Amino acid sequence: MDDHDRLDLARDKARRAWWRKARSCSEIQRTRREMDAELRKPGERPDPSLAITRRIFLHKSLLAGAAAGAATYGWFPLVNTLDLAFGAETFKFAWVSDNHLYPKNVNTRFVEKATRAVKEVQAMSPPADFLIHGGDLAQLGDPVELDLGNDILKEVKIRKVFIPGEHDWYLDMGAKWQQLFGPPNWTFDHKGVRFVGLDTVSRGPDYWTAKKMTPKERMGHMATLDGSVAGAWAGVGRDQLEWLNRTLSNWPKGNPVVIFSHNPLYEYYPPWNFWVRDWREVHEVLKPYTNVTNVHGHTHQVLYNEVGKMRSIGMLATSWTWPYAPEGVPTLTRCLVRVDPGDHFDGVGWSRLTMSAEKIQNEYVMWRKDIVGEALWDSGCADNVNQVLSPRIADREWPYYGAYK
Amino acid sequence: MKRTRYVLTALGVFLGLLVMLASPGTDRALAHKEKHTPDQLKAFDEEFMEQVKIGDLLFHGDGATEKRLRVTLSKTGMACAMCHPFGSDNHPHEFPKFQEQINKFATLRDMINWCIEKPNEGVKIDPDGDAMKALETYIYWSNRGSKLDPGRH
Repeated sequence: MDDHDRLDLARDKARRAWWRKARSCSEIQRTRREMDAELRKPGERPDPSLAITRRIFLHKSLLAGAAAGAATYGWFPLVNTLDLAFGAETFKFAWVSDNHLYPKNVNTRFVEKATRAVKEVQAMSPPADFLIHGGDLAQLGDPVELDLGNDILKEVKIRKVFIPGEHDWYLDMGAKWQQLFGPPNWTFDHKGVRFVGLDTVSRGPDYWTAKKMTPKERMGHMATLDGSVAGAWAGVGRDQLEWLNRTLSNWPKGNPVVIFSHNPLYEYYPPWNFWVRDWREVHEVLKPYTNVTNVHGHTHQVLYNEVGKMRSIGMLATSWTWPYAPEGVPTLTRCLVRVDPGDHFDGVGWSRLTMSAEKIQNEYVMWRKDIVGEALWDSGCADNVNQVLSPRIADREWPYYGAYK
Repeated sequence: MKRTRYVLTALGVFLGLLVMLASPGTDRALAHKEKHTPDQLKAFDEEFMEQVKIGDLLFHGDGATEKRLRVTLSKTGMACAMCHPFGSDNHPHEFPKFQEQINKFATLRDMINWCIEKPNEGVKIDPDGDAMKALETYIYWSNRGSKLDPGRH
């Protein structure tokens, strides 16, 4: 071993220590642990355990001939499985979201990727029972963008259900989106599973009236993930929480519930609205139910978390990947591999989900060979462990230092 | 003979001093001989934060600022911040380094121009121009506190 190797080893060791410290000390992690302890009281039926998830995945990976070394990591986000003790038939459904379409004269790359995902969904064999679109079909809520998305989705002939994203909503407060896709929240039962679509975007605080913003300015601030003007816009809202409570009240507590939402239903990183602000209340409503899976968009990255008795799976975008947030990445997440910004098709995709009597299985359909990055230098999380970030500043003053156009 | 040498030496010293005083850096050099006043420090900070804000606007795709500085950072509708919220994933503290995408040893300015030209399909900017300085300032400011680690991949 020469000096160079020794230096590499020392740096590697330091990075690992740094990463462990960053993850263990986070305030969010502490809050999440407290919440989890609160929701898993002694004597309550526990969620199907992590060990079962790991065992099933190991079995599958060995069948597929995956390297034993890699399998020992238990790549939860790559293939998530959990036991569901009910007599449902096996069926598949597909998730597509976060297409962020611009009008074709501005940008065709997002159109190409959305079209590819939609064609792949339609080509599924056996076909999926339905497609859930998880929001952010448009980039700036422009009717041209929403119509374009609707046209692309017409390629899919199976049943389609929709929930909105913030990019679809804040130009005309959801008028065009609802005209095309119907109400923003809904529920239906399918082969022994209760599916719920939540609207987590339309109840943002009014930041525009007092400042006399145009609809375009309002949309511009909403479309800026790291902006400070739109604030904590992601939420379920008291009225919808009551609706959710009523919707689930006649459902057996141990039967499977799958909740679709644009934003994650836990606190990951509030400054980017990687949460819903009333996630604690959501978990209070869900507390009696033991088989709840939340499937969400918005974060554009591989994510997996468990809080209380709810599992949460983050979906890929078809448009681009967001970097992992500086803190709050769930410790159960195996992170997405670092993506190549020079390749528009890298790090993006859609999801194929299979439900059977035993489990729900999520398969990320990403257009590259490797999905998660295990080595520190290839992991989308570990790569960012040495950065200290500050929120943006130019939009904190009023009148704004620069005007959004 | 000896006297002539003295005269020439004195003349040389005089001319040297004259050149030093007339050079553009003289004011700055002399400025450090006085203690800084609070007003001066405030002015320095304001000058810096002005650049941070301009860089922030460029980074977030503000069309008016691009127009004023006569640059086109993107033709796809994408802004830098759409892949780098809070300036994340920029890693200014890791430059200079070998940058795979460019296939060469690169500075932060090289990488900024690569992003403008490739993913954003914009027009490369003057590496020493006002827009580059502002973008660089914002990126460094948003990552301040990060440990210097040049060369890290």
